[in-house]
Amino acid sequence: MLFSSITFLFMFLPVTMAVYYIVPKKFRNIVMLFASIFFYAWGEPVYIILMLLSILLNYFCGQDVEAKKEDIGKARRSLIFTVTMNLLLLGFFKYYGFLMDSINAVIPVDIPYRELPLPIGISFYTFQALSYIVDVYWGNVKPQKNILYFALYISMFPQLIAGPIVRYVDIEEQLENRIVSGRKLGQGALYFIRGLAKKVIIANMVGQIFEEITAMQIGSFSVLTAWLGCISYALQIYFDFSGYSDMAVGLGKMFGFEFRRNFNYPYISRSITEFWRRWHISLSTWFREYVYIPLGGNRCSASRHILNLLIVWMLTGLWHGAAWNFFLWGVYYGVLLILEKYVWGAVLDRLPSVARHIYAMVLVLIGWVFFFSPSLGYAFEYLGMMFGIGASGFIDGQAVFLLYTHWLLYLLALIGCTALGMRIINRIIGAFVHVRVRMTAAVVVYIGMFFLSVAFLVTDTFNPFLYFRF
Amino acid sequence: MRTDRPGINQVMKYIVLVIILLYIALLMVYTSGSNRPFAEVAKEVEQALDTANLTKMDGQALKRYYGLNSADYEGVLLYSSESAMSAEEVLVIKVKENDQVQDVSDAIDEYLAEKKNEFEGYVPEEVKLLDDAQRSVRGNYVFLAVAPKAQEYKEAFNKSL
Repeated sequence: MLFSSITFLFMFLPVTMAVYYIVPKKFRNIVMLFASIFFYAWGEPVYIILMLLSILLNYFCGQDVEAKKEDIGKARRSLIFTVTMNLLLLGFFKYYGFLMDSINAVIPVDIPYRELPLPIGISFYTFQALSYIVDVYWGNVKPQKNILYFALYISMFPQLIAGPIVRYVDIEEQLENRIVSGRKLGQGALYFIRGLAKKVIIANMVGQIFEEITAMQIGSFSVLTAWLGCISYALQIYFDFSGYSDMAVGLGKMFGFEFRRNFNYPYISRSITEFWRRWHISLSTWFREYVYIPLGGNRCSASRHILNLLIVWMLTGLWHGAAWNFFLWGVYYGVLLILEKYVWGAVLDRLPSVARHIYAMVLVLIGWVFFFSPSLGYAFEYLGMMFGIGASGFIDGQAVFLLYTHWLLYLLALIGCTALGMRIINRIIGAFVHVRVRMTAAVVVYIGMFFLSVAFLVTDTFNPFLYFRF
Repeated sequence: MRTDRPGINQVMKYIVLVIILLYIALLMVYTSGSNRPFAEVAKEVEQALDTANLTKMDGQALKRYYGLNSADYEGVLLYSSESAMSAEEVLVIKVKENDQVQDVSDAIDEYLAEKKNEFEGYVPEEVKLLDDAQRSVRGNYVFLAVAPKAQEYKEAFNKSL
């Protein structure tokens, strides 16, 4: 079920919230759990079983690791078993087809194989389970005794399908004690509406421009159109994913949970290092805590540090999808981060802010080409067009037409990429002196945003969330 | 659930693992698609068809009947009856991306509902065929058969993967 669907907005959410707020406090987790299972089963009636089995496996493994704590060897073996099983499950569903295709591409015969569709959200819930099991092993948390609470942690519908990846250590206390209040409900609703508007009004619209451009034959459009296509995708993926994350954070608040923010205006970054501190923060944090630091982080020789970075970024790339372009996208960022650390970081710091910003954005845009391309060949052809190789001129009617007809959308999107967007909304609401008038203004602004989003939803069928496929 | 007895968690984790393996085996048998090229799958399905009442259609027919663009998919095989009094139809689509499966399934739902509406009241035997339509989603393949031999066609499709 999509957050940005009429079924979710006008049926699932109101019914779940009504039941959640009516039942006694001790039943709230059960309501939330059943709502989450229903939410997942709505879109994945087959794979709901897989998620429930994954919950059971990790629940018992967590208890087993804890039970063997006194014998470090046994505990480690139990941890390795659990991590391996989780990675094998993820690997089978996500990477098996990719592996077989890669083998078939290099050997002279085609090995026939059966393939299964990717279970939605598997990358997210597997990573949550892994964070739990590793933290239990490290002694950062106690294993959750109540299986219903553990199932709720893994399957919680606000962040189940596309994150943010919530670490158990961050939510352990909230599973048992959390504050549910009118104030938090209101704050959550504001987050949710902002996220919905980001997704439905901006991401879907710039997404249509991107689709229009990439539907054209390579070589049939200009350099400017190629850049416009890439910028449109950059805006689409940001507003799509950060919109989803805002909705997740907002829904969490509405049910009393506090999730960490997943985005912090990434496109204002002035280096790639800064970009990755602001983009998909929960994933970067996960890799830092559970891969990078255990590998030795930066407290080692330069060569080992470089290797650690490359391993982490190869894995980050592959986490996003089973394809060589995602692998290359990850390596691309790994190399850039190494270069910033060891080669040009000091020089970069001395450049004017504008130049650093342009540097970061150009590199990020090039990265998105690898990300959105269906194949490596297409990625290099598209990149060539962005730099004039094979393009039909520098500027064409298509680019002029798209800019002329969509300049307001691009302006809105660019403002929305910065803190200025929120400042404008708050300035409009804060312009009124009296508290009651200010509250009315806030209600009018947000209700307006909500109904505008619903109007877009009703009239527009183009509505995918890009991160669902990961 | 009491899990404080020594060893019970270890036993339970292996039991769950066995259940997961059985579940995956069932998924592989009943829902998996395959990497066979579309042309080979289409050829085997075509060989099983009784073409007395079915004619091969092109992309325009797919657009007209289902509102789908054939260029959006890796492969499309559509057989339909030219008679206005017949609901017979066989459709095999291989999608490029898994998220297209839902769109195709929705289009089939709509198509079947419309057809039923058309035939209801004056050709009840065709309504029966529509009610008994055989459908299948196997990996990236979507299959539909509305025909007296629909079950046979579905088996041929499953075998072709």
